[in-house]
Amino acid sequence: MRKFFLSIFFLSILPAVSCFSSARHFTFVYETTTSAPGSVEFENWVTWRRTTEPARFDQVDFRHEFEFGITDKFQASIYVADWSHARDQDRSGFTYSDSALELIYNLSNPVIDPIGLSIYQEFRGGDRLFEWESKLIAQKNFGPLVLAYNATLEAVWEGKGLAERSGELQQALGASYEISPRISVGIELLHEFLFPDWRDQKKIRNVFVGPNISYRRSSWFVTATALAQATETEGEPDFQLRTIFGFGF
Amino acid sequence: MKTLLIFLALICLLASCESTNYAPPPVTSQMAIVGARQHVDAVMLREGRALFVSRCIECHTLPAVAQHSAAQWPGLIDEMADRANLKPAERKAVLAYILAARAQL
Repeated sequence: MRKFFLSIFFLSILPAVSCFSSARHFTFVYETTTSAPGSVEFENWVTWRRTTEPARFDQVDFRHEFEFGITDKFQASIYVADWSHARDQDRSGFTYSDSALELIYNLSNPVIDPIGLSIYQEFRGGDRLFEWESKLIAQKNFGPLVLAYNATLEAVWEGKGLAERSGELQQALGASYEISPRISVGIELLHEFLFPDWRDQKKIRNVFVGPNISYRRSSWFVTATALAQATETEGEPDFQLRTIFGFGF
Repeated sequence: MKTLLIFLALICLLASCESTNYAPPPVTSQMAIVGARQHVDAVMLREGRALFVSRCIECHTLPAVAQHSAAQWPGLIDEMADRANLKPAERKAVLAYILAARAQL
Protein backbone atom coordinates (compact mmCIF):
# COMPACT_ATOMS: atom_id res chain seq x y z
CA MET A 1 0.00 0.00 0.00
CA ARG A 2 2.89 2.34 0.85
CA LYS A 3 4.40 1.74 -2.61
CA PHE A 4 1.06 2.58 -4.17
CA PHE A 5 0.87 5.92 -2.36
CA LEU A 6 4.50 6.67 -3.23
CA SER A 7 3.71 6.03 -6.91
CA ILE A 8 0.70 8.33 -6.72
CA PHE A 9 2.83 10.99 -5.04
CA PHE A 10 5.51 10.90 -7.75
CA LEU A 11 2.97 10.87 -10.57
CA SER A 12 1.13 13.79 -9.03
CA ILE A 13 4.20 16.02 -8.78
CA LEU A 14 5.50 15.28 -12.26
CA PRO A 15 3.31 17.84 -14.04
CA ALA A 16 4.60 20.51 -11.66
CA VAL A 17 8.22 19.89 -12.48
CA SER A 18 10.02 19.82 -15.74
CA CYS A 19 13.12 18.94 -17.60
CA PHE A 20 16.24 17.02 -17.40
CA SER A 21 18.50 17.86 -14.52
CA SER A 22 22.14 16.83 -14.53
CA ALA A 23 24.29 14.30 -16.34
CA ARG A 24 27.01 12.49 -14.45
CA HIS A 25 30.61 12.30 -15.60
CA PHE A 26 31.34 9.66 -12.94
CA THR A 27 29.51 6.82 -11.21
CA PHE A 28 31.47 6.33 -7.98
CA VAL A 29 32.58 9.96 -7.58
CA TYR A 30 30.06 12.72 -6.89
CA GLU A 31 30.24 16.17 -8.51
CA THR A 32 29.53 19.51 -6.81
CA THR A 33 26.87 20.61 -9.30
CA THR A 34 23.25 20.45 -8.15
CA SER A 35 20.14 20.13 -10.29
CA ALA A 36 18.26 23.19 -11.55
CA PRO A 37 15.38 24.24 -9.31
CA GLY A 38 12.15 22.58 -10.37
CA SER A 39 13.85 19.81 -12.31
CA VAL A 40 13.36 16.13 -11.68
CA GLU A 41 15.26 13.13 -12.90
CA PHE A 42 14.95 9.38 -12.52
CA GLU A 43 18.15 7.41 -12.27
CA ASN A 44 18.70 3.68 -12.35
CA TRP A 45 21.93 2.30 -10.96
CA VAL A 46 23.26 -1.19 -11.62
CA THR A 47 26.45 -2.33 -9.92
CA TRP A 48 27.93 -5.77 -10.51
CA ARG A 49 30.59 -6.94 -8.08
CA ARG A 50 32.64 -10.13 -8.41
CA THR A 51 34.60 -11.53 -5.49
CA THR A 52 36.81 -14.59 -5.95
CA GLU A 53 38.60 -14.88 -2.60
CA PRO A 54 37.96 -16.82 -0.39
CA ALA A 55 35.14 -18.09 -2.65
CA ARG A 56 33.54 -16.93 -5.86
CA PHE A 57 30.61 -14.62 -5.23
CA ASP A 58 28.65 -12.39 -7.59
CA GLN A 59 26.33 -9.62 -6.53
CA VAL A 60 24.31 -7.19 -8.62
CA ASP A 61 22.97 -4.13 -6.80
CA PHE A 62 20.09 -2.06 -8.15
CA ARG A 63 19.07 1.45 -7.16
CA HIS A 64 16.13 3.55 -8.34
CA GLU A 65 16.52 7.19 -7.49
CA PHE A 66 14.42 10.32 -7.98
CA GLU A 67 16.46 13.52 -7.93
CA PHE A 68 14.82 16.91 -7.34
CA GLY A 69 16.31 20.36 -7.82
CA ILE A 70 14.98 22.43 -4.90
CA THR A 71 16.91 25.70 -5.21
CA ASP A 72 19.89 26.84 -7.26
CA LYS A 73 22.20 25.35 -4.65
CA PHE A 74 20.23 22.55 -3.05
CA GLN A 75 18.99 19.21 -4.31
CA ALA A 76 17.30 16.25 -2.67
CA SER A 77 17.10 12.66 -3.82
CA ILE A 78 15.07 9.69 -2.74
CA TYR A 79 16.37 6.19 -3.26
CA VAL A 80 13.03 4.45 -3.67
CA ALA A 81 14.63 1.04 -3.35
CA ASP A 82 18.06 -0.48 -3.16
CA TRP A 83 17.91 -4.18 -3.83
CA SER A 84 20.29 -6.86 -5.00
CA HIS A 85 20.72 -10.27 -6.51
CA ALA A 86 23.50 -12.39 -5.06
CA ARG A 87 24.84 -15.72 -6.20
CA ASP A 88 27.47 -18.03 -4.77
CA GLN A 89 28.15 -21.76 -5.05
CA ASP A 90 25.29 -22.73 -2.75
CA ARG A 91 22.46 -20.27 -3.29
CA SER A 92 21.15 -17.28 -5.17
CA GLY A 93 18.32 -14.82 -4.66
CA PHE A 94 16.96 -11.29 -4.53
CA THR A 95 17.03 -9.14 -1.40
CA TYR A 96 15.54 -5.72 -0.64
CA SER A 97 18.18 -3.73 1.17
CA ASP A 98 17.03 -0.23 2.01
CA SER A 99 15.67 3.15 0.96
CA ALA A 100 17.39 6.47 1.51
CA LEU A 101 17.26 10.24 1.49
CA GLU A 102 20.18 12.17 0.02
CA LEU A 103 20.75 15.92 0.36
CA ILE A 104 23.40 18.00 -1.42
CA TYR A 105 24.13 21.67 -0.80
CA ASN A 106 26.47 23.55 -3.10
CA LEU A 107 28.88 26.05 -1.55
CA SER A 108 30.99 27.24 -4.47
CA ASN A 109 31.27 26.94 -8.22
CA PRO A 110 33.94 24.74 -9.88
CA VAL A 111 34.37 27.11 -12.83
CA ILE A 112 34.60 30.63 -11.40
CA ASP A 113 35.69 29.94 -7.82
CA PRO A 114 39.16 28.62 -6.95
CA ILE A 115 37.51 25.31 -6.09
CA GLY A 116 33.94 24.06 -6.21
CA LEU A 117 32.65 22.60 -2.96
CA SER A 118 29.47 20.82 -1.89
CA ILE A 119 28.39 19.03 1.25
CA TYR A 120 26.42 15.80 1.11
CA GLN A 121 24.35 13.98 3.68
CA GLU A 122 22.61 10.66 3.28
CA PHE A 123 20.30 8.79 5.64
CA ARG A 124 19.60 5.18 4.81
CA GLY A 125 17.15 2.83 6.47
CA GLY A 126 16.19 -0.77 5.84
CA ASP A 127 15.42 -4.02 7.54
CA ARG A 128 17.63 -3.93 10.64
CA LEU A 129 19.81 -1.31 9.00
CA PHE A 130 20.53 2.36 9.53
CA GLU A 131 23.31 4.19 7.77
CA TRP A 132 24.62 7.73 7.98
CA GLU A 133 26.92 9.01 5.27
CA SER A 134 28.56 12.43 5.13
CA LYS A 135 30.62 13.63 2.24
CA LEU A 136 32.69 16.63 1.25
CA ILE A 137 32.75 17.04 -2.51
CA ALA A 138 35.40 19.11 -4.26
CA GLN A 139 35.60 19.80 -7.97
CA LYS A 140 37.52 21.94 -10.41
CA ASN A 141 36.76 22.34 -14.10
CA PHE A 142 39.57 23.21 -16.48
CA GLY A 143 37.77 23.70 -19.76
CA PRO A 144 36.82 20.22 -20.95
CA LEU A 145 38.58 18.56 -18.00
CA VAL A 146 36.62 17.83 -14.81
CA LEU A 147 38.51 16.86 -11.66
CA ALA A 148 36.54 15.73 -8.61
CA TYR A 149 37.42 14.54 -5.12
CA ASN A 150 35.18 13.10 -2.40
CA ALA A 151 35.98 12.49 1.26
CA THR A 152 33.34 10.27 2.83
CA LEU A 153 32.61 9.11 6.36
CA GLU A 154 30.08 6.33 6.69
CA ALA A 155 28.60 4.86 9.87
CA VAL A 156 26.47 1.72 9.78
CA TRP A 157 24.24 0.18 12.44
CA GLU A 158 22.75 -3.20 11.56
CA GLY A 159 21.53 -6.54 12.85
CA LYS A 160 19.25 -7.28 15.76
CA GLY A 161 18.68 -4.13 17.77
CA LEU A 162 21.10 -2.39 15.39
CA ALA A 163 23.83 -3.70 17.67
CA GLU A 164 26.45 -4.35 15.01
CA ARG A 165 28.38 -1.20 14.20
CA SER A 166 30.96 -0.43 11.60
CA GLY A 167 32.51 2.54 9.89
CA GLU A 168 34.23 3.43 6.68
CA LEU A 169 36.37 6.29 5.57
CA GLN A 170 36.66 6.67 1.83
CA GLN A 171 38.33 9.04 -0.54
CA ALA A 172 37.52 9.03 -4.21
CA LEU A 173 39.17 10.78 -7.10
CA GLY A 174 37.92 11.23 -10.61
CA ALA A 175 39.13 12.85 -13.80
CA SER A 176 36.94 13.16 -16.85
CA TYR A 177 37.74 14.70 -20.22
CA GLU A 178 34.96 15.83 -22.51
CA ILE A 179 35.76 14.70 -26.03
CA SER A 180 32.56 16.33 -27.26
CA PRO A 181 29.53 17.83 -25.49
CA ARG A 182 27.98 14.35 -25.68
CA ILE A 183 30.88 12.09 -24.74
CA SER A 184 33.43 12.14 -21.95
CA VAL A 185 35.96 9.58 -20.83
CA GLY A 186 37.98 9.40 -17.66
CA ILE A 187 39.27 7.50 -14.69
CA GLU A 188 38.05 6.92 -11.15
CA LEU A 189 39.87 5.78 -8.03
CA LEU A 190 38.51 4.69 -4.66
CA HIS A 191 40.59 4.39 -1.51
CA GLU A 192 38.72 2.77 1.38
CA PHE A 193 39.54 2.34 5.05
CA LEU A 194 37.18 -0.15 6.70
CA PHE A 195 36.59 -0.20 10.45
CA PRO A 196 34.60 -3.26 11.62
CA ASP A 197 33.22 -2.48 15.12
CA TRP A 198 34.87 0.93 14.66
CA ARG A 199 38.25 -0.68 15.25
CA ASP A 200 41.25 -0.66 12.97
CA GLN A 201 42.88 -3.87 14.16
CA LYS A 202 42.60 -5.64 10.80
CA LYS A 203 43.97 -2.65 8.87
CA ILE A 204 41.60 -3.20 5.96
CA ARG A 205 42.53 -0.93 3.08
CA ASN A 206 41.15 -1.21 -0.42
CA VAL A 207 42.08 0.61 -3.59
CA PHE A 208 39.97 0.33 -6.73
CA VAL A 209 40.84 2.01 -9.99
CA GLY A 210 39.47 1.96 -13.50
CA PRO A 211 38.15 3.84 -16.54
CA ASN A 212 34.78 5.41 -17.17
CA ILE A 213 32.75 6.69 -20.09
CA SER A 214 29.70 8.92 -20.24
CA TYR A 215 27.29 9.59 -23.06
CA ARG A 216 24.43 12.12 -22.93
CA ARG A 217 21.55 13.15 -25.13
CA SER A 218 18.94 15.86 -24.70
CA SER A 219 16.87 14.08 -22.08
CA TRP A 220 18.97 11.14 -20.91
CA PHE A 221 22.50 10.05 -20.09
CA VAL A 222 24.36 6.86 -19.38
CA THR A 223 27.65 6.59 -17.51
CA ALA A 224 29.66 3.43 -16.85
CA THR A 225 32.74 2.72 -14.75
CA ALA A 226 34.75 -0.49 -14.46
CA LEU A 227 36.94 -0.75 -11.35
CA ALA A 228 39.53 -3.37 -10.51
CA GLN A 229 40.94 -3.90 -7.05
CA ALA A 230 44.55 -2.73 -6.91
CA THR A 231 45.05 -4.22 -3.45
CA GLU A 232 44.64 -7.87 -2.46
CA THR A 233 42.02 -7.72 0.25
CA GLU A 234 40.24 -11.03 0.74
CA GLY A 235 36.45 -10.79 0.80
CA GLU A 236 36.38 -7.56 -1.18
CA PRO A 237 35.37 -7.42 -4.86
CA ASP A 238 38.09 -8.01 -7.43
CA PHE A 239 36.01 -6.24 -10.03
CA GLN A 240 33.12 -3.78 -10.02
CA LEU A 241 31.11 -2.46 -12.93
CA ARG A 242 28.62 0.35 -12.33
CA THR A 243 26.21 1.86 -14.83
CA ILE A 244 23.90 4.80 -14.18
CA PHE A 245 21.14 5.55 -16.63
CA GLY A 246 19.24 8.78 -15.99
CA PHE A 247 16.43 10.53 -17.75
CA GLY A 248 14.32 13.61 -17.14
CA PHE A 249 10.65 14.24 -17.48
CA MET B 1 49.41 4.24 -1.74
CA LYS B 2 51.69 4.02 -4.77
CA THR B 3 48.65 3.80 -7.05
CA LEU B 4 47.14 6.84 -5.39
CA LEU B 5 50.30 8.87 -5.90
CA ILE B 6 50.47 7.86 -9.57
CA PHE B 7 46.84 8.87 -9.98
CA LEU B 8 47.43 12.25 -8.29
CA ALA B 9 50.47 12.86 -10.48
CA LEU B 10 48.39 12.03 -13.57
CA ILE B 11 45.70 14.49 -12.51
CA CYS B 12 48.29 17.24 -11.88
CA LEU B 13 49.76 16.57 -15.30
CA LEU B 14 46.35 16.82 -16.95
CA ALA B 15 45.56 19.99 -15.00
CA SER B 16 48.83 21.61 -16.03
CA CYS B 17 48.03 20.83 -19.67
CA GLU B 18 44.77 22.70 -19.19
CA SER B 19 46.22 25.84 -17.63
CA THR B 20 44.16 28.25 -19.76
CA ASN B 21 41.71 30.34 -17.76
CA TYR B 22 38.32 29.00 -18.78
CA ALA B 23 36.27 31.11 -16.38
CA PRO B 24 34.01 33.41 -18.38
CA PRO B 25 34.87 37.09 -17.84
CA PRO B 26 33.09 39.05 -15.10
CA VAL B 27 30.65 41.78 -16.14
CA THR B 28 32.45 45.05 -16.91
CA SER B 29 31.21 48.55 -17.69
CA GLN B 30 32.06 47.91 -21.36
CA MET B 31 29.81 44.87 -21.33
CA ALA B 32 27.06 46.93 -19.71
CA ILE B 33 27.24 49.32 -22.67
CA VAL B 34 26.88 46.41 -25.09
CA GLY B 35 24.03 45.04 -22.95
CA ALA B 36 22.26 48.41 -22.94
CA ARG B 37 21.95 48.17 -26.72
CA GLN B 38 19.91 45.00 -26.15
CA HIS B 39 17.93 46.69 -23.35
CA VAL B 40 19.73 44.62 -20.72
CA ASP B 41 21.28 46.21 -17.63
CA ALA B 42 24.38 45.17 -15.69
CA VAL B 43 22.31 43.41 -13.03
CA MET B 44 20.77 41.16 -15.65
CA LEU B 45 24.18 40.51 -17.22
CA ARG B 46 25.51 39.42 -13.84
CA GLU B 47 22.51 37.13 -13.42
CA GLY B 48 23.15 35.76 -16.91
CA ARG B 49 26.75 34.97 -16.00
CA ALA B 50 25.71 33.30 -12.75
CA LEU B 51 23.21 31.12 -14.63
CA PHE B 52 25.71 30.38 -17.41
CA VAL B 53 28.36 29.07 -14.99
CA SER B 54 25.94 27.04 -12.90
CA ARG B 55 23.19 25.63 -15.13
CA CYS B 56 25.24 24.75 -18.20
CA ILE B 57 27.76 22.64 -16.27
CA GLU B 58 25.02 20.37 -14.96
CA CYS B 59 25.26 18.43 -18.23
CA HIS B 60 28.56 19.36 -19.87
CA THR B 61 31.65 21.45 -19.28
CA LEU B 62 31.41 25.16 -19.96
CA PRO B 63 32.14 26.21 -23.54
CA ALA B 64 34.18 29.36 -24.12
CA VAL B 65 32.01 32.26 -25.27
CA ALA B 66 34.20 32.52 -28.38
CA GLN B 67 33.60 28.88 -29.25
CA HIS B 68 30.48 29.78 -31.24
CA SER B 69 29.59 32.80 -33.34
CA ALA B 70 27.15 35.51 -32.23
CA ALA B 71 24.71 34.12 -34.80
CA GLN B 72 24.99 30.55 -33.42
CA TRP B 73 24.48 31.32 -29.74
CA PRO B 74 20.72 32.15 -29.79
CA GLY B 75 19.91 28.79 -31.40
CA LEU B 76 22.17 26.92 -28.98
CA ILE B 77 20.62 28.63 -25.96
CA ASP B 78 17.11 27.88 -27.23
CA GLU B 79 18.05 24.25 -27.81
CA MET B 80 19.43 23.77 -24.30
CA ALA B 81 17.22 26.11 -22.26
CA ASP B 82 14.61 23.46 -21.50
CA ARG B 83 17.26 21.02 -20.38
CA ALA B 84 18.74 23.66 -18.06
CA ASN B 85 15.26 24.58 -16.85
CA LEU B 86 15.76 28.24 -17.83
CA LYS B 87 12.74 30.50 -17.77
CA PRO B 88 12.34 32.97 -20.70
CA ALA B 89 13.82 35.89 -18.71
CA GLU B 90 16.76 33.71 -17.59
CA ARG B 91 17.30 32.51 -21.15
CA LYS B 92 17.45 36.15 -22.27
CA ALA B 93 19.91 37.03 -19.48
CA VAL B 94 22.26 34.15 -20.37
CA LEU B 95 22.24 35.06 -24.05
CA ALA B 96 22.76 38.76 -23.33
CA TYR B 97 25.75 37.96 -21.10
CA ILE B 98 27.33 35.65 -23.66
CA LEU B 99 26.94 38.14 -26.49
CA ALA B 100 28.23 41.01 -24.35
CA ALA B 101 31.22 38.97 -23.17
CA ARG B 102 31.88 37.81 -26.70
CA ALA B 103 31.83 41.37 -28.00
CA GLN B 104 34.70 42.22 -25.61
CA LEU B 105 37.07 39.63 -27.08
